[in-house]
This record gives sequence, structure tokens and C-alpha cells, in this order.
Amino acid sequence: MSDEPKKKSSNYDPSRRKFLKGVGVAGAGAALADSLLTHDTSAANSDIDAAGAPVSGSVNIALNVNGQRRNATVEPRTTLLNTLRNHLEPGVTGPKLVCDMGTCGACTVMMDGKPVYSCLVLAVDAVGKKLTTVEGLGTPENMNGVQKAFVEYDALMCGFCTPGFVTTISAYLKKNANPTLAEVREACRGNFCRCGTYPRVFEAALAAAKAGGS
Amino acid sequence: MPQQAQPTPTPPKKKKVRVPRVVNGVETTVEIEVDDIAGPGWGPNDKHRLLTHRLTRVDGPLKATGSAHYTYDVRLPGMLYGRILRCPHAHARIKTFDSTKAATMPGVKAIIQARLTEFRFAGSPVAAVAATTPELAQDAARAILVEYEVLPHVVRAQDAIKPESPEVLPRNDAKPNERNLRLAQKNGDAQKVEAALAGCDAIVDAEYYTPRIHHACLETHGMVVDYSGGKSATIYATTQGTFTIPDDAAKELGLSTSDVTATVQHMGGGFGSKFGIGIEGMLACRLSKEARAPVKLMLTRSDEFLMAGNRSGSWQKIKAGVKSDGTLAALQAMQYRLGGVGQGSQAGQPYAVYRAGESYREVYALQTNEDSSVAMRAPGHPQASFAMESLLDELAYKIGMDPVLFRKKNMRDEVYHRQLDRGAREINWARRNLKAGAGAGPRKRGMGCGAGTWGGGGNNQCKVDVTVGRDGSVLVAVGTQDLGTGTRTFTRAIVAEELGLQMNDVVEKIGSSKLGGANSSGGSTTAASLSPSVKDAAIKTRFALAEKLAPLLGNAKPEEIAFAAGNVSAGGKSLSWKQACASLPSAGITAHGEWRQDLQGRGVHGVCFAEVEVDVETGQVRPIKMVQVQDGGLPLNRLTMESQLNGGMIQSLGMALWEGRVMDRDLGVQLNPGFGDYKLPGALEMPEFVPIIDDDDKREVVIGIAEACIIPSLGALANAVFNACGVRVRELPITPDKILMGLMKERRTA
Repeated sequence: MSDEPKKKSSNYDPSRRKFLKGVGVAGAGAALADSLLTHDTSAANSDIDAAGAPVSGSVNIALNVNGQRRNATVEPRTTLLNTLRNHLEPGVTGPKLVCDMGTCGACTVMMDGKPVYSCLVLAVDAVGKKLTTVEGLGTPENMNGVQKAFVEYDALMCGFCTPGFVTTISAYLKKNANPTLAEVREACRGNFCRCGTYPRVFEAALAAAKAGGS
Repeated sequence: MPQQAQPTPTPPKKKKVRVPRVVNGVETTVEIEVDDIAGPGWGPNDKHRLLTHRLTRVDGPLKATGSAHYTYDVRLPGMLYGRILRCPHAHARIKTFDSTKAATMPGVKAIIQARLTEFRFAGSPVAAVAATTPELAQDAARAILVEYEVLPHVVRAQDAIKPESPEVLPRNDAKPNERNLRLAQKNGDAQKVEAALAGCDAIVDAEYYTPRIHHACLETHGMVVDYSGGKSATIYATTQGTFTIPDDAAKELGLSTSDVTATVQHMGGGFGSKFGIGIEGMLACRLSKEARAPVKLMLTRSDEFLMAGNRSGSWQKIKAGVKSDGTLAALQAMQYRLGGVGQGSQAGQPYAVYRAGESYREVYALQTNEDSSVAMRAPGHPQASFAMESLLDELAYKIGMDPVLFRKKNMRDEVYHRQLDRGAREINWARRNLKAGAGAGPRKRGMGCGAGTWGGGGNNQCKVDVTVGRDGSVLVAVGTQDLGTGTRTFTRAIVAEELGLQMNDVVEKIGSSKLGGANSSGGSTTAASLSPSVKDAAIKTRFALAEKLAPLLGNAKPEEIAFAAGNVSAGGKSLSWKQACASLPSAGITAHGEWRQDLQGRGVHGVCFAEVEVDVETGQVRPIKMVQVQDGGLPLNRLTMESQLNGGMIQSLGMALWEGRVMDRDLGVQLNPGFGDYKLPGALEMPEFVPIIDDDDKREVVIGIAEACIIPSLGALANAVFNACGVRVRELPITPDKILMGLMKERRTA
């Protein structure tokens, strides 16, 4: 085996521009099957097929967000987080933009049931996936078990990290319905809180598990 | 409706009182005149129906479901996104600025240049761009061409104090060897202290250092300026002071203050850093004015680290002496406040909890080419407390006295004695090592303690209106803001309790500069300023209702009419709340509440005990348990107050063990401006927390506790580390390298 990565074609170009374009097209491949993605022919800069041209065009995509089909026009580089918040009409603003580089967890959403940092997912790569945000887990009038426990145990203060924690824990309890405190901590290790709600987040997670999960 | 002649009320007598007022996050005091009246008080702390109980917060369901709308979530039609271009050098002057290419890029609607042309810290804003998406704004900011003349800089206190250091800020009055020093305070008699030190049985002479800390608000600073030309504007702000916004913004937009409305429904953390519109707000206003479109300018995470302020660092040289009976007899301190280009803040030594016989201190601001420090939760106190508590511990060990007893002997206020006893019981103080580092095995446990204080108290800025509708609805309105401290919840609870209703029967409306005035949330002054005004409005509402309802209740005297369990009753007659309200005039009734000095107080006490485990092979410190005992007069809401105590402990845990701004001396830039490199407290490191509200405090007044509970734990943790492994770390954060170096030094001297 060679240490060299296998080149898919002879005109392999490792430049970032081509990489982004590649990602866009890969996303498009998955999406076209569901006919959820079409090129935005109306946009002036939608020439992403032109060889060597900068990938600054925009594409129309449709995402499956909280059970609804949602359309957006995005650039290939637009993150899922930015798409949810700024490109859907109306926006889905439960997932918060805090670090924009995958360190804090405030933007956590479920993608096919798995918690992901939506600031690290390109919108075009989320096409065809089932996306659930904190809004999809419950409403103020009809909260899920984790959300109820967060209120009851005061597991939130300013509340900016809360959507991320609620989503992370809701996803985790589906995987492990009866976790230990150590397991809850481990599940929350990718989420930051600054006000200092951790001890009550743990209490809420354990209580939600006891009451029958998310 | 016929107008009834109102009897002219006798004007109340006035009296003058001094109250705290927060200006840019810094607590000062001012003299104000208040009505000299006392109405019904809060009553005993253990006799409340809603207050002092565990009330879940009223905005909890909104926050837990992502339905709470923050400034960052605001999106308006035609809104542009702002991005800032920052200076990459610690000290530089602009030679050329060229934004022609950026201006032609897709989606770009406005580019403005900062008013400064010389920048004194890396990260200083140079220009700002507004474009149709955040990505395009970022592209354009990157495309601005700036050529700098790079000038000499200094970013470390140890370098800035040297006579040959570059000058951070130009000044004429400085002696050549004090160019970056500003004397802030000189107190006491140096000669008396020298004499007292000579008569001491044990002396500690040590230097303590704390780095600059970042607020790290999860919602970065910023705002949405909704202005498209014309005569009025709305500012959506993430702020601790709704009423600090309109004036600043009006100046930038060229409007009058009354034409600018500030709105802050929910905000994602401030911790002292969010007052006024800030530089980012000025830039956002200018962009909006130029583009004639709404602009949202939120700082990026690295912007936030580099230009949104920070807690000042400290460098303290202290020499203190004790008598063998444990009396602290003398203390001299040289304190440097490390506030970057700002003045920094630091409480004076000896820290206010303790007496120190004779004392002398000099406090200086020592400036560097770094972003100015701003207020952060108990400005200057954790730094001073860390040094003082460490010093006391060193002295206690030196004379072989129990650190708790030693503290009791030197405290100004006996309230701490019961708190120390309570905390010691909770952590089981008897288990501590009598000799530091005596535990077996490579993972050694230890315990430490510390104490803190804060003034708090309120002022007369809150104007509250309670309106009861004919349909039974109750609305309490005031322009204040809820930082996540539970302001909405206690506001509602006070009114519900007074009127004999449940939490769900009352609605509160806050967070707008068009509602009744309110103070900024700084210096732990919110609850003590707001709750008396709410209580006053609620009492007046009750009396106004009682007067209206008296004819339906056998002409009972208003003060005999009871409001309880959703009923209004007197003399055997009873009306349900709905029935009672149905008899009101069609507009309902409104009562206005003003601040009452007698309903709030000043001065809180708190102690912290910590247990840690130190791995002497790796130097790793693992916190095991933290106990905070805190008084605060009337605890309005036990549940949210405990959450605040947890928060105080967790933030100081970060300061003690992990956090600190790291600068590159040669480049003058911050090396850790992001959550990947700046270590915040995380889920895996959390110890067991025991927040204890000191109910032996029987004062029937409201006092804020937010600052108080972040102060004593730094010392408690550092002292616990010493008790565990015998290494005294005098420079925060207590990282493994410092433990291992300490252990190595100990082995060498042994």
C-alpha cells in the first residue's frame, strides 16, 4: 500500500476551491436523487459547473427540518447552522451560533437522529437527511421530557446554551435510556455553558431518564 | 365618566440616602432623595407563599424549546450582516486604507472606517462592512487592503513596568521610570506597618498573580440596528442595561434619544461586559445609516475575545505578619491592576472581610497593549480575595493554626463564624490533612476555605406599573432586563403573592426602553432596585382594588379586605378574582410603584469550602466538592438563587484552575482567542456542588448576591491544592506544570 492518498482522477486538484466545489457536487449527487436540489439558474453567479471558476454561486436546496420540507438558496460553503438561522424563511433559530467552529455545542441538531454540530455541517451535505432542532423536540405548551426537566430543575440561566444541551441529551437518552451520572457528563462533554448550569443539567437529564426519556 | 374630585395628598417627607449606582459596570455611590415613608414590609422570610420558595422560572419553557428570541436571532426584512476588520498588530498606525475592491464585491452595501488611525492593541477595530449575507460580509472585510506602520508594543506586566518599556499610552506627566504606571490609591502609614512587622512572630512575603479572564458570554456582543433613514430607530441589543442603549445609539444615528427604542427580550450572558452600545454598536449604527437598511452586527467568537473586554489581571506583592496567637498585626501591599489600555480594577488589601492591625497599600494601574478590561462579576474582588486568602492560609500554616479558626480571629464580622461552621460541617473539615500533602498515594486530597463580601443594594431608578384588567388579567410592566438571573420570575411572584394569585395569573412585560425606567444590571443591584418598586406597585394595586371593591364587601375598610387563594374577601363576604375584577372600570386600574429604601439592604457575607484531588505524578488537579454558604437577606426565589451560587462557584473554578488569556510577547497577539484554546469549565470537570442559602440571616430586605458568590472560591481552591500536595501556587490558573515545578522544588530543598 502506498502512503499517497488515492487520486480519484488524473486531474486531481487539492486546492480549497476545487475541494469546496467537490463537496457541493457530492451533496448535489445525494440530493438530486430526491430531486431536492436544483441549480439556481436565476442567480447571477450560479456558474459552479464552469471549470476553474470560483465557487461563489448559489444553489437552491430543500432540507427536511422538523418534519417539514424547507427551501433555501445557499452557497456551497454555507453551513447548516447559518442556513437554518439565516436562509430559511422564517428562520429556525433554536440552534445558536456561539463559536462557529465546533467547540461549544450550542448549535447541536439531530441529523438522522445523531447529534451533530450544525456549524460543522455544510447545508448541501444535510440535503436528504432528517433534521431535528430543539424546536422539533417540543413546544412551550408541549415540552418533551428533557425540556420539562430542564425547567423543573432550573437547568438553564441565560439560556443560550440550553437548546444545544436539550438536543444533545434528548438524542443521548434515545441511545441510553437509563444512564449513570458519569455517562450523562460524558454525553455533555461537547457542550459549554458559561452561567454555570452543569450540575442542574445533569440532574435534569437523570430525572428525564427516570421519567421515561425524552 | 364623571371626574371625581381627588383629595390632594400631602406630599411625603423626603430624606437623603446614599445608594449604589452602576456606571459602565462599575459600582459607585450617589446621594439621592427618597420619600420618607414606610408601608407594609415583606414580612418574615419564612412566612411567604411564593417568594423564598422554589419557583421555576417563567421563561423556562421558552428557553428550553428554542422559542426564546435573543438579539442574535433577530432577522428583519432587508437586513444586512456586519463584519469587523481588526488590526492584527499590538500597536500600529494606518499608512494606507483601500476598500475599493471590497466595495465592488457581491452583496456589499456599506463599508466604513473606524475613527481611529492608531491602534494600541491587536484586535482593535479598523473598519466594518455590511453585506447581504454573513459570508459575503466576511469576504469583503478580508478584501480591504490596509498597510500599517508597526510600532513598538508591550503586552506583559513584567515588561511594561521596566523603565525602557515602550509607552502604551502617551502622557506628559510621567516620570521616565513610571511610564506605564498610574497611581490609583495610597492608603495607610508605611512606617507604622514596618514597626508592626518587626514585632510579629511569623511573616509571609509573597507575590500573587492572576491573569486576565474572558467573560466568554455565549451570545457575543452586538446588536441589530433597525434604521432605514427616517426619524426613528429600534435597537435590538444584547445588553445588561436596556436604558444604556438609546442615548448612545441616538448620537450615532443623529436622532433624539426619545426616537430610539431599545429592546432586549432575552440575552445570552453579560457578566459585567455589556453596557452601552460599545464600539460594535457604534459601527453597526454607522453601517445602518450609510446603507439605509437594518444591520445586524454580532461579534465573531474571536472578535469577542480580542475586543469585547475582559477581567483585569492582577499582580500583588504582599508582606504580612502575625502574632503567635493568630492576630494579623500588619500588612503591606503593592498592587498592580492589569487592565491593558484601561485602568483595571482591584479591591484594596487587606481584603474587606479581614482586619489587619496596621496596613499600607499602593495600588497602580499597569498598562499594556491589550484590549481594555471592563467590569466582570465582582470587579477586582476575586483577584484581591485570592491573594488575601492564600496569604492568610500561608500564615495559618506557619503558626500551626487551623485555617478556619485563624480566619475567625481576624474577621470584621461575626456573621462569617456561623457560615464557616456550616461550611466546615458540610465538607467535613475534620478530614483535612493536618500536615499539607500528608495523604497517601499519588492522588492526594486536600481542603481549603475562603470568605467574600459585596455591597449590592439598590437605587431608585425602577418605575413599575401594575394594571389589572376587567377580565382579571394582571400585567406588571417595567423596562428592566433579565440576564438569566430570574428577574422576570420574581417580578411576577411579588405581584401574584400580594394579590393572592398564582404565578400563571400574572404576566410581566420587560425589556423595552419604552416601558418604565430601570437600572442597569451591574454590581448585584437589580433585585434590590427592582423588587421594592414592584412590591410598592403591587401594594398600591391591592389598596386601589380594595377601595373599589369595598362597596361589594359590606363597605369593609380597605385594609381589612383579604386577597388570598384567588379570592377577595371581607366580613364573611367573598368574591372570586374574576368577579371582583368584573366590577372595575372598563380600562381596569393601574398603580405605579417607586423604589422604597426600607425594602432593600446592603452587604452580604459568604464563605466557600473546596475539596480537590491532586495527582502528584501528572500535576492534574481534580475538584471534588465545593460548598458555598451565602446570605442575601430575603431570598426572593430559592431555586434561581441556588443556580446563581452554582454559577459563581463554577466561574471561579474556571479562574482558579484553567482560564487565562495567553499573549505572545514578541507578536503582541493573544494566542488563545477561541473556545478550542481558552479552557472554559466543562461537563467532565464538574465536582459536586452544595449551594447553601444562609437562612440564619433574618433581614427582611432584598440584597443582590450575584457578585458575592464568585469571590471566596478562588482562595478556597488554591488552599485546597496546598493542603492536598504541599505546593503553594501563587499564580493562577493552577495548571499541572506549576504543581510539578513546585513538587520538584520541594524535593530539591528536602
